[in-house]
Amino acid sequence: MALRIPIHHMTMKKLNSHSNGHTPLSWRCNLATDALLSPQSSIFLPSCSPSGQVKPLLVTCASGAAPSAANLAPGTPVRPTSILVVGATGTLGRQVVRRALDEGYDVRCLVRPRPIPADFLRDWGAIVVNGDLSKPETIPATLVGVHTIIDCATGRPEEPIKTVDWEGKVALIQCAKAMGIQKYVFFSIHNCDKHPEVPLMEIKYCTEKFLQDSGINHTIIRLCGFMQGLIGQYAVPILEEKSVWGTDAPTRIAYMDTQDIARLTLIALRNEKVNGKLLTFAGPRAWTTQEVIALCERLGGQDANVTTVPVSVLKLTRQLTRLFEWTSDVADRLAFSEVLSSDTVFSVPMTETYSLLGVDSKDIASLEKYLQDYFTNILKKLKNIKAQSKQSDFYI
Amino acid sequence: MTCAACSLTPTTSPAASFNKSIIQKWSLNNGAVLFYKKPASSILTRPCAASSSSSSSATTKKKRKKKKKKDEEEEEEEEEKDESRSGDDESSSSMMKRLDDVNPVGLGRKSRQIFDEVWRKFSGLGQISRTIRSDEDDEAVGGPMCEFAIPGAQNTTVLVVGATSRVGRVVVRKLMLRGYNVKALVRKASQQVVDMLPTSVEIVIGDVGDSLTLKAAVENCSKIIYCATARSSITGDLNRVDNQGVYNLTKAFQDYNNKLAQLRAGKSSKSKLLLAKFKSEDSLSGWTVSKGTYFQDVVATKYDGGMDAKFEFTENEEATFSGYVFTRGGYVQLSKRLSLPLGSTLDRYEGLVLSVGGNGRSYVIILESGPSADTTQSKMYFTRISTKAGFCRVRVPFSAFRPVMPEDPPLDPFLVHTFTIRFEPRRQRVTDGTTGGNQDLRSFQLILEYIKALPTGQETDFILVSCTGSGIEANRREQVIKAKKAGEDSLRRSGLGYTIIRPGPLMEEPGGQRALVFDQGNRISQGISCADVADICVKALHDSTARNKSFDVCYEYVAEQGKELYELVAHLPDKANNYLTPALSVLEKNT
Repeated sequence: MALRIPIHHMTMKKLNSHSNGHTPLSWRCNLATDALLSPQSSIFLPSCSPSGQVKPLLVTCASGAAPSAANLAPGTPVRPTSILVVGATGTLGRQVVRRALDEGYDVRCLVRPRPIPADFLRDWGAIVVNGDLSKPETIPATLVGVHTIIDCATGRPEEPIKTVDWEGKVALIQCAKAMGIQKYVFFSIHNCDKHPEVPLMEIKYCTEKFLQDSGINHTIIRLCGFMQGLIGQYAVPILEEKSVWGTDAPTRIAYMDTQDIARLTLIALRNEKVNGKLLTFAGPRAWTTQEVIALCERLGGQDANVTTVPVSVLKLTRQLTRLFEWTSDVADRLAFSEVLSSDTVFSVPMTETYSLLGVDSKDIASLEKYLQDYFTNILKKLKNIKAQSKQSDFYI
Repeated sequence: MTCAACSLTPTTSPAASFNKSIIQKWSLNNGAVLFYKKPASSILTRPCAASSSSSSSATTKKKRKKKKKKDEEEEEEEEEKDESRSGDDESSSSMMKRLDDVNPVGLGRKSRQIFDEVWRKFSGLGQISRTIRSDEDDEAVGGPMCEFAIPGAQNTTVLVVGATSRVGRVVVRKLMLRGYNVKALVRKASQQVVDMLPTSVEIVIGDVGDSLTLKAAVENCSKIIYCATARSSITGDLNRVDNQGVYNLTKAFQDYNNKLAQLRAGKSSKSKLLLAKFKSEDSLSGWTVSKGTYFQDVVATKYDGGMDAKFEFTENEEATFSGYVFTRGGYVQLSKRLSLPLGSTLDRYEGLVLSVGGNGRSYVIILESGPSADTTQSKMYFTRISTKAGFCRVRVPFSAFRPVMPEDPPLDPFLVHTFTIRFEPRRQRVTDGTTGGNQDLRSFQLILEYIKALPTGQETDFILVSCTGSGIEANRREQVIKAKKAGEDSLRRSGLGYTIIRPGPLMEEPGGQRALVFDQGNRISQGISCADVADICVKALHDSTARNKSFDVCYEYVAEQGKELYELVAHLPDKANNYLTPALSVLEKNT
């Protein structure tokens, strides 16, 4: 298969240096293949920097479908059950893999080569292929014979956000387009268009735009928050009687179980009606941090040792860290504090989505139920361990 | 970290209070673990900075440099929050000085760890809720929160035959997801096959056509899912896989179960209960032969032909019940009051198995139940069995018995006290057999070997994926169905708890999308996805309603107007819902 991936067209320009306190990003991307002479459309997105300046964010993409790419050669038709999950080891990715396997899909997982491979994916029956989004040359081989790509990848907090989340995604979408992938499901963040000052959200928003302009058959799913994240953040520290850190931010997030997200995603995947659409998945109720902590305290039967950090402190820290280039990724990591202080509600009414997908709202787990299950299980386990340790005391 | 903070700030007072506050806070939080760090922190602020920065290695220095800046901001907020806690007991802590605690290197490391933890939490606040998880953490992989988890799955080993088939592949995955131990029987362990199966699947090399290789395969297995099918329609191939294969495997599995039962000296839940064994002259005692007619009031018919029967131990050491019935409406029967071994009752068993030989007549088995002391209250239950010419084993489930008086309640095996086998000339079929063309349907010969009670089981042992025959080309269909039917029959006769699934034409698409129809009697017309068949297999493993059932399954279809003859149970498979139990509970057992 002759592939020409126009990676070299993609240039990334930094118009401003970091020294002036903020980092407006600008990318110029080109998805034109050499054979294609269709007019190109440019989209200028206003990118609001925190200081109020407006910088043009340029994403250029060849509009119109590339007919040459979709029907490459009369070969074996790709089976619609073959999907590729990018970011399969992540919190959401593993649930998507599991769900898809259970529903009878042939799942391929794109994982980064690492010394200790993610064996659990292979154990479930998925095929693991090695590739790295930050190395575009590794991508094409992994896409052969794939019908649908489900992209749940997000860069780890410790790595520079641009390599995976922007450059990697652009390369992946271009490659998918060139290889005639028939559907691309992309996970984004709710309200990402409203907070361009948060780098991750800005990148997600730009990726959404890029995907829409690429002409590939896609579905974008915006998510609010994962219940699974709360376990490590609040439930475990409360059980271990460690201190819990929370903010006093009034932001509410409609947390959702990743297993539900995976289930809805696969329903959406099969639904022709959602092609090219943007869906937002939110949990049944939006919670503030304080409410979540209170719930954990009640279910765990223990008072938490809560340390409340005012949002203003977070913001101040971010401002300070942005002064220097070598603390800029610290600043990026704190970027969400801008959102926290803005009194947003991360939730959407889901009735329409439910009816579109044909899902009963009763099947979606609520946070109370989720945490209750967690605490019941853990407390039972702890009891067992205590009983066992008592027995062993006898022998000592 | 401590040192970095100290050396950087010109005035020591904020730095010192910062150090103190953090460490004390953590000692509060972590109780005993960090307790004896307290004295060190209170004594050492400055010296630690000097000595540890000089003694610590180059790597820590690098990291520290990066953190300098963070510390500065950290101070500000830490101060305001933790000032209140700084007044703490220092008198008790000074008692616990140890050499280890004043070691500046260790101290530096500990305080660095503490700082890292605090920083991690702090910076975590500034992020969208994302889980930072190490890859070894398998809380979500198979933890209690997983919706797929099935209790007891870890202790169940399932042998999947045909693990590389369309259904088999999905079955293996589903079992793995649910935490079962999976064995896969493959013919050759080629690279292609190994790659297709998950890494933790135990691969057994063997062939269902070769019974010797199956011995190893069934070792330690508690369930079998058979989804292999012949690759060609050559009769030999079909017979080998779809018929003989099932037979061989059930035999191997029964042998293994028997071995286990023997190891437990007949006390295993798999052991059958011996009701009667006819191996000597003495074993015939207690059995009585009697005769009667259904028309007792008509005197004339009673004597018009005559009948006779005897039960004897022949010289070939066979207990033979033989005779003739020429009387219209007459019958002869052999019965005995059952004496069960102490402590066992028939309600723990689900049926009878008879090993019999003879000339292939059909018989009526009658069980009398009721309080054994008062036979006048006995209720009679009957069922008809047919035998083959030559020896065979007949399995009669208790559920097949119908009351003689229709108003009586269904049979309660607990109360059974008398066993009767009756021959009557009515409804006999001519068997093609050894007796030749001049066989008289009114005479019979029945060689009895043993009568045993089959242990009841809650769950199915053997799941067979068969086919309905629709969707196969017409010229092949006959052969395929014949082989599959023969396989099904040998499974039903095996004595294992079975589930036979006959799906419509298989389609390769994701499962769980459409409603399914469960039906009996070869009436279905739609296809079904492989994944749904696999799902039924896995669900049937632990479903008591699936035991000893054969059923057809396909996608829901809309019946034509006026043709809705059947009562069909349809349900959309969905998250964690068990559609199988309600669907199967209305279907007949042991069909």
